[in-house]
Amino acid sequence: MPPRSRQPAPRPARPVTITAVIDPVAALASENLDDNLYLYDTNKAAGSSGFGTPELHSRVRKGDTLLWNVIPLECETYVALADIEIDPQIAEPTRKVYPGTDIVFWTAEVKQDLTKPVPYRLSFLLGTVSTPFTPTARPALTRPGDQGKEGR
Amino acid sequence: MAEKVSIVVLVDAVGALSDRTLHNGNLSLVDDSPAGSRHQGTPDLITAVVPGQVVQWTPIHVDVQTPVEIEAIEFLSGVAVPPSDAQVFPPPGDPAVPPYPVESPAVAAPDATGSDGYDNHDLLVWEGVVPDYMVPGVPYRYRLSLKLHDGPNSVLHIDSPALLRV
Amino acid sequence: MAQQHGIIVLFDVENALRTRSLDGNTYWFDNMKFLGSVGEGTGQLVTIVPGTYFLDGSQATEQVLNWLPAALGAIPPTVPRNYLAEQERAHDRRTLEQLAALGGDGEVSSTEVSRLQQRVGRRPRKQAGGRGLTAAKLLDVTGKATSSAAAYNYPAPVITDITGQAVSEKIIYPAQYGSPDMVYDGWYWAATVDTSRPGVYPYTMHVQLHELVEQNDELVWQSVDLTCESSLKITSDPKRNAFTGAGLGVLPLPAAPPAG
Repeated sequence: MPPRSRQPAPRPARPVTITAVIDPVAALASENLDDNLYLYDTNKAAGSSGFGTPELHSRVRKGDTLLWNVIPLECETYVALADIEIDPQIAEPTRKVYPGTDIVFWTAEVKQDLTKPVPYRLSFLLGTVSTPFTPTARPALTRPGDQGKEGR
Repeated sequence: MAEKVSIVVLVDAVGALSDRTLHNGNLSLVDDSPAGSRHQGTPDLITAVVPGQVVQWTPIHVDVQTPVEIEAIEFLSGVAVPPSDAQVFPPPGDPAVPPYPVESPAVAAPDATGSDGYDNHDLLVWEGVVPDYMVPGVPYRYRLSLKLHDGPNSVLHIDSPALLRV
Repeated sequence: MAQQHGIIVLFDVENALRTRSLDGNTYWFDNMKFLGSVGEGTGQLVTIVPGTYFLDGSQATEQVLNWLPAALGAIPPTVPRNYLAEQERAHDRRTLEQLAALGGDGEVSSTEVSRLQQRVGRRPRKQAGGRGLTAAKLLDVTGKATSSAAAYNYPAPVITDITGQAVSEKIIYPAQYGSPDMVYDGWYWAATVDTSRPGVYPYTMHVQLHELVEQNDELVWQSVDLTCESSLKITSDPKRNAFTGAGLGVLPLPAAPPAG
């Protein structure tokens, strides 16, 4: 096997993780996911905004690896990220599980630098309901320098 | 005869909210009456009581972090709810059973408002004394409404449980 | 409220380590918004604790708090904590199988060996005299072994103490408990609440984060101790009979029994 050619320019070693905190019991009882969904990412230092709202704006660059996962407020209640709908020219998220578990996360690589915010849609499975829940509010990927919404 | 009969209302809140029903195994009623209750562990519990006894209902959640409270207990009148199986007593058409008038439940919704203005059903104690005028051998069905968290889908009810004077 | 209060504290560990502060890097949640908690998902959560008492003045429902820490950008807490150890063993097993396969036929290429070395990952040392983590292989945020000190999955933040006014005034009695629930590795902080004195009571959570640093060509875990604050709002109301609105009465049965 030939030695590997030059390494590409270094990227941050960790993905930009986007975490959805969900109160599944409140969402089921109220049929309102927007008020019971809190989004965060690990890119606050780069200027992400909208922390703690369903309209998180995540600052990303071409080549960044993104990782979406979920934390339920009631740790014994089933919650999973069912789908991510985003312009496939920007990113094509794929569903994965933590090895040896059935706990889902999604990853994608940012294919190009963004010229404007790119909203996307998350949907979730809650409890034992087979139809996914989708919040009305939409999070977005933004380029460095774009102003997102202020966090509450 | 025991002075008090406890009825435990055991709820799988996530199951009930997901299925939008207290059936499908999401609700189980159990009592400690020594007088021969029927259908223990089901939503069709018929609790055997005698006048003067205190009956108390207590909600319990299967998952310790999900809220389950009793929203209302309304004794049904005028609504003939068919028994869930042939075992129920007394036999239908018993001549001792008088015809009975159609009435809406007589009780106003209990006030569960706490001092900070929020509803808190944990403030309510669901207990009462079995009255002397209760007719023996006839199940007095009641609507048991449960509140699971808060919102338009949070209140679910069943009409199948009953008290029966032995 | 008759259910237990779960208070989840989500830490932006990377930012907290960078700024050496939990200010702005801590997000608090409980499941009591519908009963009056405010500041969900922010650093300014006020957790409602709606106390109840009987007419004789004694406390009715016992209120229990549980604190559950989580790291943003890490393997989520729904993945059992023993998962990390299991993944590590699975990696070692596969590597050993590959080593055995290599040994068979003559020359072993240096590429193969270095590939396996990478696979084995790196095993950081514990900081001398430090408290905390046992030596374990590094995993990245997707649960794979990593040799990069910059890619490791942040270990779960560890609550080391809960202090402050709510504790000194004996409103809560926090302690660490063992639990059969493997979601939190068998340990969690919990407290019962004395709800007889309504008011707002702040408390301080002491948290240990862990940072991996290169020292003399070795990876060493260093603990970083930080604090953050939240508060409890205690209310207290008398229990009342649901049928009468006051004391015990006769059950409101209809005058005539229902027809069959």
